[in-house]
Amino acid sequence: MTKLFLTILLMGIFLISINALLGSKVSPLYEIKYPAYFGDRIFIPADNTTTEAGVKLGRMLFYETALSAGNTISCGTCHKQELAFTDGKKMSTGIDGSLQSRNTMSLANLLWVSNFFWDGRAAGLEEQAKTPLTSPHEMGQSLAISVAKLKKIENYPLLFKEAFASDSISEQMIVKALAQFERTLVSADSRYDQYLRGEYKPTKSELNGISLFYTSPDPLKNIRGADCAHCHGGPKTYTELFQNNGLDSLPSDRGRELVTGLDIDRGRFRVAGLRNIAATAPYMHDGRFETLEEVVDHYNEHVVSNILTSPFLRDRSNTLNGKSLDLPKDEKKDILAFLNMLTDSAFISDRNFSNPFSK
Amino acid sequence: MILIRFCFVVLSISVIFFQGNSQTAATKPSLKVSGQVAKLLTLTAEDLSKMKHVTAILKDRGGKNVNYSGVPLQDILGLAGVSTGGQLRGENLSKYLLVKCADGYEVLFSLAEVDSSFTDRVIILADSTEGSPLPSDRGPFRLIVPGEKKPARSSYQVLEFVIRFAADK
Repeated sequence: MTKLFLTILLMGIFLISINALLGSKVSPLYEIKYPAYFGDRIFIPADNTTTEAGVKLGRMLFYETALSAGNTISCGTCHKQELAFTDGKKMSTGIDGSLQSRNTMSLANLLWVSNFFWDGRAAGLEEQAKTPLTSPHEMGQSLAISVAKLKKIENYPLLFKEAFASDSISEQMIVKALAQFERTLVSADSRYDQYLRGEYKPTKSELNGISLFYTSPDPLKNIRGADCAHCHGGPKTYTELFQNNGLDSLPSDRGRELVTGLDIDRGRFRVAGLRNIAATAPYMHDGRFETLEEVVDHYNEHVVSNILTSPFLRDRSNTLNGKSLDLPKDEKKDILAFLNMLTDSAFISDRNFSNPFSK
Repeated sequence: MILIRFCFVVLSISVIFFQGNSQTAATKPSLKVSGQVAKLLTLTAEDLSKMKHVTAILKDRGGKNVNYSGVPLQDILGLAGVSTGGQLRGENLSKYLLVKCADGYEVLFSLAEVDSSFTDRVIILADSTEGSPLPSDRGPFRLIVPGEKKPARSSYQVLEFVIRFAADK
């Protein structure tokens, strides 16, 4: 009798386990594709692997206005795909009508970024997402309220279950799903990429722009350059650096110093990635430059040189003993030609990244 | 005229630093040693100034030799109990040193590259040059790596040494 009872009990446990396993089906991993020349120094936290269901949910949350107080704005309001996930404004406007203190950053190739915001204060995309969602001057809604609202919206409980194998929705799941989606925003099909793949023949001006971008000037050897790559790095055009780029003699925004407390970090901001740069005006942390021409003019002839300014912007010149880059108009145009090569029209029209609620 | 210009420069620099110091107490840069170490270390400029100093020479961009004074890198690693000398064998030879700088710049050395049982080259963490403290845009601590064709690893504003095993996954 006891044996029969035990057998039935074990069979019951077995059937319940099988049912639970089937019910909590783990979503397949999402393969993020990128060229080998971007390198594998990528940042994905061990507790938030990228899955098909997580990315699908994250994309919906990215465009979900229910995540804002008053249900009027979403992440996509200030990060518009057609502008490489910026909004074209000097400072974006929050839910309460106030302007942000810094320019909205483009969202491309975040897989290679470990510290977010202009000052690098958020370690990871999951951590970063909490600020715009909850700041009273941005989307203005606590994550707890967002959870409560999402639980009541049709489909979300099922989408969260598919993404996280859980019957509940949590604050952490919201930021995790958003981070998963944002990690898929890879821009690697610009004309420059096509050139690197041997599929596009650059113009003479573009080729010279590439050369100037990567070359450090040496007037003694008659080597001409703008040395942009010193900070902007290789083909990814991004290296995680924070520099004072000589915008002001007295920085009104102390930048990274506010994070580290170090004097030497005064006026230092993230060296921005240059992918899709032509689509992301205005420029700099405060959006002071409206055009790329102004940006190139700044680096060529207007860098404020003091002890806070990056040394790599102070001692580079194409003129013997020169104090600035001293590139003539035609070479500045060549650099602009290269920067325009970095626009990736496939990225800014990719339906995998677009608003799923749009018709 | 020169005096006026000098006064203006001094005033400007004072204003730059007064502006921040009036709002927050500035943190002084220090050097951390972390990772695969027996003892986590945080060394202040004063701590480093009390350690044995040696001189190393590095060419500037104009090709002129410049003297730097600082603490041998191996002495700092030794204080933290990093594998050195006779311990650098077997799997310890796959350990590396990652140098992290204030602006986010990072450079790497294998431990064997910086160890006196493998090389006569003495890398130092410099805190002065030609008798003066390093300028703040390059200091207070700069790694000086003599004998390299490029100065790219002689990193400015060093904040941390991280010791890790190279692990292919």
